[in-house]
Amino acid sequence: MVKRSIVLVALVLAALVVVTLPAQSQAPIKIGVIEPLSGPVAASGSYIRMGAEIARDWINAKGGISGRKVDLLIEDNKSDPKEAASAAEKLIVRDKVPAIMGAWGSSMTLAAMPKLEEYGVPMVVETSSAASITKRGNPWIFRISPPSEMEALGLEQYVDKLGIKRVDFLAVNTDWGRGSITAFGDMLKKKGAAVGVAEFMDQAATDMNAQITKIKATGGDTLFLTTAVEQITLVMKQAQEQRLGRKIVTTGGSSSPTQLIKQAGAAAEGSYHIVFFMPWFPEAMPDGRLAKAFVDEWAKRGHPFEGLTEGFRGHDGIATIAEAIRVAGKDEPAAIRDALWKVSLMGVNGPIKFAKDGPAGKESGQSKPSIFIVQIRDGKVALPDFLAKK
Amino acid sequence: MEQLLQHLVNGLVLGGTYALLGIGLTLIFGLMNVVNFAHGEFYTLGAYAAFAALGWAGVDFFTAVLAAIAAGAALGWLCEVTLLRPLRSESIDTTMLVMIGVWIAMQNGELLVWGGVAKSIPHPFPTAPLVLGPVAIAPLRLFVLLIAAGLIAASWLLIQKTKLGRAMRATFQDRDTAALMGVGIGRIHAATFAFGSALAAAAGALLGPVFLAYPSMGDLASLKAFSVVILGGLGNLPGATLGGLLLGVAEELGAGYISSGYRDAVGFVIIILVLLFRPAGLFARQERIA
Amino acid sequence: MRRVGGGFLALIALTLPLWLPSAYHLHVAIMAGIFGVLALSLNLLLGYTGQLSLGHAAFFGIGAYTSALLTLTLEWSFWPALAAAIALAGAAGWFIGRLSLKLRGAYFVLVTISFAGVISLVSVNWIELTNGPLGLPGVPAPELGPWSLRTKTTYYYLVLAAVALSYAVSRRLVGSRIGRAFVALRENEALAESIGVDVTHYLVLAAVVSAAMAGLGGSLYAHYTRFVSPEVFLFSYTVTMVIMVVAGGKGTLAGPLVGAVLFTALPEVLRAATSWQWQMLAYGVLLVLLVVFMPRGIVPHINAAFSRTPRP
Repeated sequence: MVKRSIVLVALVLAALVVVTLPAQSQAPIKIGVIEPLSGPVAASGSYIRMGAEIARDWINAKGGISGRKVDLLIEDNKSDPKEAASAAEKLIVRDKVPAIMGAWGSSMTLAAMPKLEEYGVPMVVETSSAASITKRGNPWIFRISPPSEMEALGLEQYVDKLGIKRVDFLAVNTDWGRGSITAFGDMLKKKGAAVGVAEFMDQAATDMNAQITKIKATGGDTLFLTTAVEQITLVMKQAQEQRLGRKIVTTGGSSSPTQLIKQAGAAAEGSYHIVFFMPWFPEAMPDGRLAKAFVDEWAKRGHPFEGLTEGFRGHDGIATIAEAIRVAGKDEPAAIRDALWKVSLMGVNGPIKFAKDGPAGKESGQSKPSIFIVQIRDGKVALPDFLAKK
Repeated sequence: MEQLLQHLVNGLVLGGTYALLGIGLTLIFGLMNVVNFAHGEFYTLGAYAAFAALGWAGVDFFTAVLAAIAAGAALGWLCEVTLLRPLRSESIDTTMLVMIGVWIAMQNGELLVWGGVAKSIPHPFPTAPLVLGPVAIAPLRLFVLLIAAGLIAASWLLIQKTKLGRAMRATFQDRDTAALMGVGIGRIHAATFAFGSALAAAAGALLGPVFLAYPSMGDLASLKAFSVVILGGLGNLPGATLGGLLLGVAEELGAGYISSGYRDAVGFVIIILVLLFRPAGLFARQERIA
Repeated sequence: MRRVGGGFLALIALTLPLWLPSAYHLHVAIMAGIFGVLALSLNLLLGYTGQLSLGHAAFFGIGAYTSALLTLTLEWSFWPALAAAIALAGAAGWFIGRLSLKLRGAYFVLVTISFAGVISLVSVNWIELTNGPLGLPGVPAPELGPWSLRTKTTYYYLVLAAVALSYAVSRRLVGSRIGRAFVALRENEALAESIGVDVTHYLVLAAVVSAAMAGLGGSLYAHYTRFVSPEVFLFSYTVTMVIMVVAGGKGTLAGPLVGAVLFTALPEVLRAATSWQWQMLAYGVLLVLLVVFMPRGIVPHINAAFSRTPRP
């Protein structure tokens, strides 16, 4: 029995070795991308992939980086940290990518981080919000998305204008949801608002009536909602069914107001959304021309408009890495890492420039992204009154 | 008090959907002894079939639900005939494994066809809630609850009153004897699997508009369906119905009064307790340890 | 012949880091080894006593969290933490074994699923202990005396030793009186009981050894990936173990190992062979085909094929 299985094991191993022998072409510059392309947040990962592909095609249309084309190697992390680590290993060792963009969720990013340190390859983090990512002393991490604390500070100036006095929280039970509650809770308390209940929902949950009923009983005026757009849709519909009657503010930039208007309809009316890109009025973005061009290109490719609020991250991440490679003058991991500290470019979101964060000597890079707030009014996305009047 | 009433109403509405998911599975599990991990995928199939019928064929909502039921039955029948029938003499683990394969393949096939972005399924009901004193309920959810009750009653009549149902019950009690008495086990199994899958698809078509349609929606549905089946006892339709309602109310109260982070744990703890003290299900008339 | 075969296999396993083309392949081999331990562990319950545990990720996760927490917060070194992980997972197995000693078949399945569900929710919600959904990054690499087992090659040998240990324990157990009692239980419980097999005792024993072995796998996983989060309790980990055991051939000693190697390598082969949209779809379809053509699993099927050939 043992003998026969030996043959089989040997065959399988041989097949594995043969099939995965490293590819030999050297000409294009490879950039690795790790995103959740299947599983519960597949939509977000796919949008980021689409944005990344636009950045790649734009760079290549302009002749590439120093005459070399850019090639994206895209891996699915299946929303599983183990897969994120495996994907990083595969991209670095087998495909020899000199830089990576990824990995959407914070736990996926955290799982891939030891691999970056082990092999010395930089990663640009495009979405993850956990503060700890840049605080761990991993000098290969460069984040262009805002951690929750930064997002909360971005909202601080509007708290009075939004008339927030008593808030409740409803968040997905992940690092992102819990981190948001802490960050926004601290900021709102500092601004003198009373904080009511903090409720959680499982990532896959579809019925949030229990949480809504409980929140309804607190008598607050505002509900902070942190989760992916699908669950936001469900919460809004169910809140309407229960006549919750709150001002709803979504955080994290993954709310896609356009999709909410389509899918939640009247239930989304009046809600506020923190976003990092405003495709409805690209001219209001820091670089209006770039934003407009991105929105047009997105439409030309037939991608759904509602994906833009997520898709821009993919563009900005790849643009950042490409700029670093141009500055470095070569596609070597350590050189790209050093160059990332020097880059200063305009992304769809706004200026990207890294400041040091984390323990001295092993700092990670953290950019300070632009943060915006929009409102759904009359079935359209608009700037809130207090901003539109200016 | 107001809050408690609303929690109870929410729980019953949710429980009705769990019951609808559970009855299809309890037949498949109880009668065929197949741990059907793909049950939730038939639920997903139903939701997407309804979406396609509404969007492409332009039919009305009720026809779309019928189309979804037909799609579920057809694919269920196909699955039984091509995959489960040749494996009937194998162990429960083998059939479970093949259904795990079907689950993974169907879910990723759906992802490929429909993309990861959730689809909203339109429905003809007003969104303003019906308000009865302190509680509110959406008209669509009330409709779903009524249809679920109707489907459960129809299934029960089918099992109890028809010739096919009699053959199904005979097979459940003793497959070999039933075969000796001239029951065509193959046909009964195919019919059972198609019927159970059709019920899952019906649940998907009805709940798709309440929630959203997306490729991984079936995972949670499978888990809840299994819980309901165990609470109610294998092959026990009234048990599955009561089990579903109980699970819905328990989760709702758990999330409302204990902790929303532990919402799903309430269901798990109930299952463990039920299995410890009433191992044949809460509503079994006789003890039945498989 | 059997001995020569075993020696050949050991030689391949021992020299693997020398002839594998890259660290990435070694990474896949290490993951295959960790899942080999897990599959051997599940096989003890499923293959030999016939009880299907669909909560096996719970024992794996308990092992991973125990080891990670002890080394991170109490700064234990790897070896005592590993022992504690094995002990605590074994204790959880004892608990489940005692809890469900009257339950069989589908009901046992549901208790184990529910147990894993509860443990998973505890790992998410008990923030003070587990750091919640953010997980525990920075789990240290193991050390052996003055040497750090940080490199892939050394870690590979550590995992290989664990596989060998798990295999030896399984083999010892299965070949002994206890193993015969297990099989008697699986084949005909009433008969086993009537000839004086203490059913409860043996089931609990099987659950404890199986869970402890899963805890070993969990600890190895934690110190290899250096990061533990509630996702270790994901149902998909259990499903992966079940696929490895049943597809490889349950109730055989080699089957789970073949399954572990094959189903760790398959997703990586698919990564290389096709774009991401098709990977999991192909995985599902291949699994269905495998069951249809080899319903009893790969190893029993090959055994049958080999024993048929001499007698046409």
